[in-house]
Amino acid sequence: MFNLMRNEWMKLFSRAATYVMIGAIVLAAIAATVIMLFINSLGSDQNLTWQEQLQADNERLEQMIETGEAGFMGDDPAERIAINEYALENDIAPNSMNISGTFWSYLENSTFLLSLIGLFAIIVASGIVASEFSWGTIKLLMIRPIARWKILLSKFITVGAFGLFLVVITAIISVILGLIFFDPGSPVRLVFEDGQVVEKSMAAYVVRLYIFNSLDVIMLTTMAFMISAVFRNSSLAIGISLFLLFVGGTATGFIAAYYDWAKFSLFANTNLSQYEMNMPIVEGMNMQFSIIMLVIYFAVFMTLAFTVFTKRDIAS
Amino acid sequence: MSQQAVVELKHVTKKIRSKTIIDNISFNVFSGEVFGFLGPNGAGKTTTIRMIVGLMKVSSGDIIVNGKSVKNDFEGAVQHVGAIVENPEMYKFMSGYKNLIHYSRMYKGISKEKIDEVVKLVGLEKRINDKVKTYSLGMRQRLGIAQSLLHDPKVLILDEPTNGLDPAGIREIRDYIRRLARERDMAVIVSSHLLSEMEMMCDRIGIIQNGKLKDVQLIEDFVGNQSHVYKIEVSNAVEIADRLRQAFPAFEIRLVQEDLLINCKKEDIPAIIKWCVEEGLSVFGAAKAAKSLEDRFLEVTSEQKEEPVNV
Repeated sequence: MFNLMRNEWMKLFSRAATYVMIGAIVLAAIAATVIMLFINSLGSDQNLTWQEQLQADNERLEQMIETGEAGFMGDDPAERIAINEYALENDIAPNSMNISGTFWSYLENSTFLLSLIGLFAIIVASGIVASEFSWGTIKLLMIRPIARWKILLSKFITVGAFGLFLVVITAIISVILGLIFFDPGSPVRLVFEDGQVVEKSMAAYVVRLYIFNSLDVIMLTTMAFMISAVFRNSSLAIGISLFLLFVGGTATGFIAAYYDWAKFSLFANTNLSQYEMNMPIVEGMNMQFSIIMLVIYFAVFMTLAFTVFTKRDIAS
Repeated sequence: MSQQAVVELKHVTKKIRSKTIIDNISFNVFSGEVFGFLGPNGAGKTTTIRMIVGLMKVSSGDIIVNGKSVKNDFEGAVQHVGAIVENPEMYKFMSGYKNLIHYSRMYKGISKEKIDEVVKLVGLEKRINDKVKTYSLGMRQRLGIAQSLLHDPKVLILDEPTNGLDPAGIREIRDYIRRLARERDMAVIVSSHLLSEMEMMCDRIGIIQNGKLKDVQLIEDFVGNQSHVYKIEVSNAVEIADRLRQAFPAFEIRLVQEDLLINCKKEDIPAIIKWCVEEGLSVFGAAKAAKSLEDRFLEVTSEQKEEPVNV
């Protein structure tokens, strides 16, 4: 198995396209820093300290309570006031209030890089099986004394490892650039829980944010891999998966507004942060339901890929 | 014979949907022999080969390689098989050497020395570190053979190995194949639609047509068996042909250019020569005229075409 993965890795890294992808990821991570520095520089004429900003925020929120205006995005203004006061008392500068941006808010805003990694993972997943067919190399690959499922599994693991590899590269670059160009900020995140303000770790929050944001690309990469193994056609796999990556979430949102069955669709369940924000896409869904749905989808994709790939004849 | 069958096909049938592609084929291949698998394009050669190497599954029947069933013990059976199926397609973006490393990792215990040895055997030492996309067709074919020999297989299967090669390349491949069978006691299965090729390469030949195995014969038997045809060179052949037919009504006598072709047994030759001499003709020579493989092939395959009419 280890040797099979070494083979896949060798094939992957013998191709120019792979290096183009890595280069694009590096550039994107750098571009993210530059853009964020640029945006931050636009707002820097507003010379208030974070304490002054929090006080101004509190005054506005108190007005909202008086006039009975609904809080933005379902936030309870009273909770925000409590959090702001806690921050002032304990001298914790919120990351969002730092005018020149902090390391943590930079990481928080860099999640879009995951979509780019997802895009590349989908491209690799789409080609890793189908290309062997289009190159004709599948014949020499499958006449070895190795069960077909092992070959397929080694390819799937390689796709995952490649995705993870890109994530690690991005993370390293982001952390280094973030530490160089932004204030460290406070590693504490204030949350209102059970009637009181509690301190939570910012790092854990960012990690969770990244995991939640990568669920849809993980699922789509698995689907692309399945299509690649079942239909042996990389363009089909790339086409369907990318189409869904870009419009799947939005389309599901529209459908969910009218029909309840949308909750069984893949994209209604990939966004787990909907439960954090307490706004499930369809009323009555919860985290447990979504995780079960994701596991079912994953199992279906895998079963399809493995049964078809191991059963079907290789004839061209 | 002390020879041992390394590949056994037992009533192998392949159906794709309701269509029968391969119909009840059985034959054995022994170690040390080159077995030619001959048939027109689309007869089922490649399908049969794909079934032997496990790329396609048999619908019924079984294939045994070195005592293990491809159907039930794929890994055990295929372990002893080296093959090129159709064209030797390699990873073009990698060097020949990396391609060999790639395949060597799929077997247990293939050393770097073994890879070097195989590279040397096929004579690719100078170009092995170049990318495969820069290789000529002949070099790719040689790399294909190198790849199939990495694990010292007992059975070597080459599908159309001389396809697209120039005469020098064809000769080279032919010599390899003969040498491998003889020196390493391998069983070699070669498919081709080129009869002249088979004649020079193979010990035995199986003819396949429309998915059915028509005939399996030793090449010598195949080319010149049954009643032999003798070619007799005499003076005035054209004039005496009819008189000869009257004198020997039992034999089929044909006149081809200036020579007489007589279909008879060896014992009959002296009588014919004696007759010619008594008639005052000059006999320049009498020799067995081997039928070419091509004649026999057409004979075998056309016989079978008429079969459905009888049924």
